[in-house]
Amino acid sequence: MNIFLYLDKNTWIHRLDPRTKIIGTIILFIACLCFNHPLYMGCLTIGIIFIGISSKSEKNIWRLRFLILLLFLFSTVLWPFFLNGKTPLLIFGLLKLSKESLLYGLAMGIRLSTFVIIGLILLSTTRNEDLTNGLIRMGLPYPIAFAISTALRLVPTFAGAGAIIIQAQISRGLDLESGNIFRRASKFIQQAIPLFIYAIRYTNLLAIALESKGFDPGSKRTLYYEPHMKRIDFIILTILTLFLGFLIYLRIGLGLGAIIPERL
Amino acid sequence: MGISIYFDDLSFTYSRAKNPALRNINAEIEEGKFVFIMGHEGAGKSTICYSLNGIVPRMFRGNYLGRVLIDGEEVSKKKIPEMSKIVGLVLQDFEAQLFSTNVELEMAFGPENHCLPRSEIERRIHNYLNFVGLANFRHREPSSLSGGQKQRLAIGSILALEPKILAMDEPTTDLDPKGRMEILSVADIIRQQKKTLLIVDHESEGAIDADEVWLMKEGQLVAKGPPDNILTDLEKMELCGIRPPSILKLFRLMNWPGSPLTFEQAISLINKHDLLKPERLKALPEIYTKSSTFPLLRVEGLKYIYPFHQVEALRDINLSIYEGEFIAVLGQNGSGKTTLVKHFNSLLKPTAGEIFLQGKSLKDLPRREIARLVGYVFQNPDHQLFARTVREEVGFALKMFGESPKKIEDCVAEALEVVGLIGYEDKVPFALTKGERQRIAVASVLATKPLLIILDEPTTGLDFLHQRNMMEMLKRLNRMGHTIIIITHSLWVAAEYADRIIVMKDGEIIMDGPTRAIFYNEEKLMGASLIPPPIIRLSNWLGTKSLKAEDMVKELKEKLFINKEIL
Repeated sequence: MNIFLYLDKNTWIHRLDPRTKIIGTIILFIACLCFNHPLYMGCLTIGIIFIGISSKSEKNIWRLRFLILLLFLFSTVLWPFFLNGKTPLLIFGLLKLSKESLLYGLAMGIRLSTFVIIGLILLSTTRNEDLTNGLIRMGLPYPIAFAISTALRLVPTFAGAGAIIIQAQISRGLDLESGNIFRRASKFIQQAIPLFIYAIRYTNLLAIALESKGFDPGSKRTLYYEPHMKRIDFIILTILTLFLGFLIYLRIGLGLGAIIPERL
Repeated sequence: MGISIYFDDLSFTYSRAKNPALRNINAEIEEGKFVFIMGHEGAGKSTICYSLNGIVPRMFRGNYLGRVLIDGEEVSKKKIPEMSKIVGLVLQDFEAQLFSTNVELEMAFGPENHCLPRSEIERRIHNYLNFVGLANFRHREPSSLSGGQKQRLAIGSILALEPKILAMDEPTTDLDPKGRMEILSVADIIRQQKKTLLIVDHESEGAIDADEVWLMKEGQLVAKGPPDNILTDLEKMELCGIRPPSILKLFRLMNWPGSPLTFEQAISLINKHDLLKPERLKALPEIYTKSSTFPLLRVEGLKYIYPFHQVEALRDINLSIYEGEFIAVLGQNGSGKTTLVKHFNSLLKPTAGEIFLQGKSLKDLPRREIARLVGYVFQNPDHQLFARTVREEVGFALKMFGESPKKIEDCVAEALEVVGLIGYEDKVPFALTKGERQRIAVASVLATKPLLIILDEPTTGLDFLHQRNMMEMLKRLNRMGHTIIIITHSLWVAAEYADRIIVMKDGEIIMDGPTRAIFYNEEKLMGASLIPPPIIRLSNWLGTKSLKAEDMVKELKEKLFINKEIL
């Protein structure tokens, strides 16, 4: 079963230097913070989805559609209750809903799911090792870069083990489908304990395997996939920086794209 | 040739362990030799491997006495990464060893750590991928490889470090027969490279080609010598909890001369001494005689396709299982065995077709009812143990079914008695040995008294003693009326215990019938990558009805007696 996010394709984004992709991701993250108007956010998201499609990451975005949708809904539904706007739509005792807060919530929903999509594009187009190498070449100490990539690497492994554990407990009569949320939560323990034990055993073995292959966090090592910044990398970084500058000018200079200007 | 490894009175006790894992090991291994180490679970075999590259005592701490010298240098004074230039260690669990996203990066990881130039890394990847026969898989994701390929990759990635000594800790335990053969043939090529090779295992089949065999028991080195001397010492082998070569056992029980270890050796000895003539097996029951006419479980036109996959994992399976049967499902990894049996308790839902339990469709039965009638024991007991005490663990399902405390108490006691763990009620499941944890897992399924018990590889990873205990226990359960289905890679287990065999290949059932008849068709078995063990080939050659050495003896003695009468 393939539970890794990386998709081994050969698109223009795949070919970029991992550093470009990491910095590009950060720039796009900041870009998402520029607007809180759903229309402006929406345009940004459509652009990012296009990048996703051109990098053939849509398969992963589709795979995680429920997570993305859930984040969107939660944010859209919850935000309006914590904000006040100028044009009230509905007043229901202590609950006040306004047009601004509703639109703001919508924008936040779009923003949150766009964050996930940007992250997915990065992980779908960048090998774990490339990510590590990129981080190292950007000056992060090797042990930290390695820890980050190992953590990413272990997620699918533990997810796979978790799936087997759930099946094993269902076979023993554990009923996960019925009962209210509290009853269901109480069944968590039968799944969590075997998973913890598995994780401890697994990481122990991993440590043995790593050290047996000469892994030493303190010493210098070769990077077999040495990243190279090419002309296209610099071009893309320049475009992205100019783009971000333009967005910031729109928001701060022209005051556009904000439904509630005093909020981020 | 000089001495490569020298154990100088090595003893080691893991911290917080009661008993020492190694006791006064004194031995030496010459450069370029192949040493095969065998022993029961907990005999100290893995600890020996760990002491070679300093994992003991550097990572696993404890009371370390004596020395291990490699090329005259003391291992315990060196760091593990430093030792990786001299000693390569391959672990049993290939899943945990492979962590890169593609094959070539997995190969590059070790050389990268040694800070070798890129061109040199490139050369080694190329060389050693060819060596382990994975050159065409260079850009594949390790998780998409088969078990045998994964373990070969693990070996290759260690070889890329070009160590002088290679130690493999049970490299074939988790593999199907085909994977085992792959690893053993790689080991063979490694030998030709004049590397010092250590293989730890509890099966003796790979030991025949070794220069030296060591037997270990409770941390002690009990015997060592050439394989012809050690493997033929049945008493010592059994004392160390190792399954003796069955052919040899037969020869001893028959009082025949010679000590054959392979089928060919046995035949030439039988011919030479004119002991018996080959015979064709007569009156083979072709069709399975069922105990009742009404099937316990019926599978009709079952098809299954995994989500996100286009391939059919199961194609058009039709099958009836009757009460009281003991069935072994055989086949290569990926042939669909586990996928099939997971349908029997509705863990997987058919893409097409239907399954009936006692005549009722599984679709109409509530989850809980199915769990009650069909017990499923997963391969790894650690996937289900969670409780603080054995009592709580075994009684868990009953509690889920809402039984009274008195009834739970009774059923738990009964289940523990069957698995032979009475008196363990208040112990912590995690602290038990693998064999005991496996039995707890069985007991926890048994407690609900299911009609049908399915076990996925119940003997994998257990040593001979525990394997036999497990199988004897299943036999008892079968006699008590439980229907048993096991998935196994171990052909001797299937031959000795099952009365019906189902062979799967590429999602289809290619053979289904009584055990003896199935094992008679060696050619078709080979077609499914199942290599019959020597004793089965011999019994086919001699034409005996039984496949087990002890029972063959009775039959053969009768035959010899009749022959004499005729004369």
